[in-house]
Amino acid sequence: MTAVPSSEILGTEERDILQEIMNIGFGAAAADLAGVIDLYVQLSVPTVTVLPAPELPDYIRREVPDAREISIIEQNFWSKFKGIALLAFTAGAGRALLGMMGDLDEQSFESDPMRILEKETLMEVGNILVGACVGKVAELLGDVVTYSPPRVLIGDLSDTNVSKRIFDPGNYVIILQTIFHFGQQDVRGYLFLIASHESIGWLKHALRSFMSQYE
Amino acid sequence: MLKKVLIIDDSPIARKILRSCIPGDRAFEYFEAGDGQSGLQRFQEVRPDLTFTDLTMPVMGGIEALRMMKQDRPEAVIVVCSADIQPKTIDRVMELGAYSMLKKPPSKEALADLLAKVDALLGTTGAP
Repeated sequence: MTAVPSSEILGTEERDILQEIMNIGFGAAAADLAGVIDLYVQLSVPTVTVLPAPELPDYIRREVPDAREISIIEQNFWSKFKGIALLAFTAGAGRALLGMMGDLDEQSFESDPMRILEKETLMEVGNILVGACVGKVAELLGDVVTYSPPRVLIGDLSDTNVSKRIFDPGNYVIILQTIFHFGQQDVRGYLFLIASHESIGWLKHALRSFMSQYE
Repeated sequence: MLKKVLIIDDSPIARKILRSCIPGDRAFEYFEAGDGQSGLQRFQEVRPDLTFTDLTMPVMGGIEALRMMKQDRPEAVIVVCSADIQPKTIDRVMELGAYSMLKKPPSKEALADLLAKVDALLGTTGAP
């Protein structure tokens, strides 16, 4: 594990504040999803990790089981809080989510339109979760973010090349992470919000401002 | 009378926020725990008049802690303070006997309203 101690980029209290804000963001995302498609989401305790940007793909591969067959919903966000959201679903999640939302028969699962529907389902679920979560975090920190349209990537994570496209290899990223368990089935979504290095200065200031209202 | 308050949350920041939202003129004796299991232990030791618990926590989650605390003392006043505000979650905690549910982050107004209701409840029933 090559993660640097969080204290070098974020102090202990800053990390705790960010973790609690993420917890609130993830909760808002689950509630939004439940409101739209009546799907119960079990939340996990969020974590905050600081990494050199080039190590991001390997880190995500380690965190997501069977990362060679994952579907990833990728969405950029930018304002003062800037970065990328990756929601990784393990293989078969699209079908399972479709099954939870409707009464689809087995034959329909093999058709091309069904594959498109699976992709659209993942994209819609991802869009709701990412939008609600990032939006809530930004709101609590006094920011408003803009999003790129979501896109779905199927297959090996290395295809995404995320860190090369988005982040300067000489910089660090802050990874805010949680796992969503959907319904009663073992369907999981791994959400990574990756704040870019240039957001870190603003983020530290915004975290202090957030807590000052509770001093 | 409302004297002892237990706050169960894995986040020290969440515990600090909750305490800061309680009106300053209320002189409570506070107890804290960082997960459901140690929260349950503190609950049994100090017999708080009012308990706040989060839901998503390591070791033992808040749902299980709530269930066990209500099993131990059915009359206990337990408020769930959580970011998980899905309707099914709210239904579940109310079924388990939670007195109320507060959405994170709590506000000073929400805490003042809640404490007034708990004061009235404890004054009327004499519990717990």
